[in-house]
Amino acid sequence: MMLTGWLLFSLALFSIGLYAVLARRNLIAILIGIELMLNGASVNFLAFNAYLSKDPAVGQIAVLFVIGLAAAEAAIALSIILAVYRSRNAIDVAGLDELKG
Amino acid sequence: MLTAGLVMIVAIAAAIFAATTRNIVHAIFALAISLGAIALAFLILKSPFVAAMEVLIYIGGISVAMVFAVMLSSVGKSAPSEGMTRRLGAGFAAIAFFAGVAAVLIGADLDGLPVPETSAEAWSVQQIGRDLLDRFNVVFELLSVVLLLAILGAVTIASRNDGHDEASSGNAGAGLGARMPDEMRPGDSAASVNPASPASAAPSASDASRSEEARA
Repeated sequence: MMLTGWLLFSLALFSIGLYAVLARRNLIAILIGIELMLNGASVNFLAFNAYLSKDPAVGQIAVLFVIGLAAAEAAIALSIILAVYRSRNAIDVAGLDELKG
Repeated sequence: MLTAGLVMIVAIAAAIFAATTRNIVHAIFALAISLGAIALAFLILKSPFVAAMEVLIYIGGISVAMVFAVMLSSVGKSAPSEGMTRRLGAGFAAIAFFAGVAAVLIGADLDGLPVPETSAEAWSVQQIGRDLLDRFNVVFELLSVVLLLAILGAVTIASRNDGHDEASSGNAGAGLGARMPDEMRPGDSAASVNPASPASAAPSASDASRSEEARA
């Protein structure tokens, strides 16, 4: 499998995540879309790393940082989702137009 | 080659299912399958350590945390349906993005570039660890600070009582939560971190007042 195939694969993952973020109204579904987009970026990193890098540890470390930031982001997002559910009894983004908790 | 194609098909099919299905629990399980296929893709791309971390953190951590969030908020049953115009607009945007970038990628003809020579040692896990603690040490430490702040922020946001009695939210949350199973109580994890001795040795008067609060 050549580099372009892997890049198209990562692009497809990113586009599916973009669709989920734009189309869904459930906050957890939007979070799923964000995870798919981050994974598309990770596949992109590792594809270039495997085919064109002189220093292959760098791309892998970049992906490790992406995974760590995704974990932090998911923890924050899920706790925000729970707080939103507690105050509004729904996690539909359509009603979320105020900053006050 | 065949394995790579199979992995890609599984990952994309599961991702499409996760992005489109109405049932949010099914979507999370499809996301887990997609992430497993992506971990296999990482393995094919000669990065076994990253694949292991993907399985541990994404499938074992983030997917499970999402399932817990769904169980705590019971939103799986009441998924609202999106409007047709919203889906069509999002689908058009996603397909346009895919087509545009794919045209650039195929036009760039990256397959013709020469693959540089790398030693087997450069691919080893030892090299990753050495670079992580040597060249990228500052980023590594910054990421640890970010994770610490994320944990603190998540605990603070999730354990906040809505409105009244902010100061005693930790203890009161634990006391109320035992009596009110329907109450959302993600703050219990924060409360249980506190030493249990003051809570258990607390006079029964405050306990009674708490139960009065619960009835009020």
